Amino acid sequence: MKGSILQSKYNKILIALFWIFVWEIFSLIIDQEIYLPSPITTFYALIDMLKTTDTYITILYSTYRTVAGFLISCGAGIVLGYFCGINKLVYDLFNPLIGIIRTIPVMSIIIIAIMWFKDTNVPIFVAFLMCFPIIWTNTISGIKSTDVKLLQMCKVYNINRLRIIKSVYFYSSIPYIKAGMISALGLGWKVTSAAEVLSLPKYSIGRFLYDSKVYLEIPDLFAWTFIIIMLSILFEKLLKIFLRGLYD
Amino acid sequence: MIEFINVSKKFNDLKVLNNFNIRFEKDKITCLFGPSGVGKTTIANIAANLTEIDNGEVKVTENAVYSFVFQEPRLLEWYSVYDNIDFVLKNVYNSDKRVNIIKDYIDMVELKDFESYKPKELSGGMAQRVSLARAFAYPSNVLILDEPFKGLDMKLKREMISLFKKLWNESKRTVLFITHDVDEAVTLSDFIYILNEKPAKIIDYINILEYNDVSEVKYRLDI
Repeated sequence: MKGSILQSKYNKILIALFWIFVWEIFSLIIDQEIYLPSPITTFYALIDMLKTTDTYITILYSTYRTVAGFLISCGAGIVLGYFCGINKLVYDLFNPLIGIIRTIPVMSIIIIAIMWFKDTNVPIFVAFLMCFPIIWTNTISGIKSTDVKLLQMCKVYNINRLRIIKSVYFYSSIPYIKAGMISALGLGWKVTSAAEVLSLPKYSIGRFLYDSKVYLEIPDLFAWTFIIIMLSILFEKLLKIFLRGLYD
Repeated sequence: MIEFINVSKKFNDLKVLNNFNIRFEKDKITCLFGPSGVGKTTIANIAANLTEIDNGEVKVTENAVYSFVFQEPRLLEWYSVYDNIDFVLKNVYNSDKRVNIIKDYIDMVELKDFESYKPKELSGGMAQRVSLARAFAYPSNVLILDEPFKGLDMKLKREMISLFKKLWNESKRTVLFITHDVDEAVTLSDFIYILNEKPAKIIDYINILEYNDVSEVKYRLDI
């Protein structure tokens, strides 16, 4: 068992090294740092960044925006998802609205949000609006997947509606909500960064991405992108640990 | 206690019951015996108010309160054995009374050491015993058993049957018992209706209490 875990970690390192090697080869072929910086240059840019306090403040602010947008979408998506899942009329009422939200291009939402909100709140609003439909849909799917046989059992034993919602629908939907939360969090990081690039809050990864583009500091752009990927992976792992405590 | 008068039921174009009549006597075990697919479960579901009828009347002679042992245990996987029984009793008893009742029934079905176990951690037979305890712990006066011993091995089936008898003797209620197993029907029932054909038709009726020798009943059921 221990051997197989070690083997799997060893394989992952080898796979990562392989892709870094491919990246290196491509950067050597292109031979223009402005298009594709080498892994070594990106690594040095990352090290330089990590030496400044601003980097950590920026990471903190961007994390705050992503997590805030994500949590608001979870709260709203789960609560509204429940009402829509157990009541067809409420579902029919909200379904078109959520269908529209789902199809609006992210860029349109960001530009509208820039007009409505303070720069720092734009990414929160955008993350909320992008993550919310995922959580809402998954909550409804979870409720609809509730075993009809359990509901029949509840009917025989005269269980009231509130207790059916609390003890049957809720638990049945948890695996679906968990899956929705994990996908929504990943998306949250992407759309928060995109919204930051356009709304340019003072401390934001998006602002640094934008500056890298403007000043053609492409290794910095790659290093910030690497930071976003790492944050996304880290928070996904943390979320999974947190969710593990809930019934699956 | 429960009487079907000219009850008809169709699922799409399939006529399951057509002017069907039957009576389930108070505090007796009435068995519906017959091959799979003749509509026994439909009759049970109609009796328990889980399926609506198209025509006819279902007369319940007094306020019927139901409990049901389904073919599969139908337990809430996220709750423990204790909480599964507590779940159905919450609307009926206060918490002090519930604790005693639940403990008693868990004891009776010999799952005392497993009360904190989740259904996934139990064997099929154990889970079905929980379902049986839940049905008896609930203060029903009509108990419906829809092939509750299906899929259990012979030894477990015998244990479950004797457990059922023990529980029923302590708390008698009107029982509608569905099976296609001759031994189960003979061992448990007071009355047996033999069903066949589609739509369901009663082809024979046996009052077990009139027989001294069960092999004669078995012979009639085997035909």
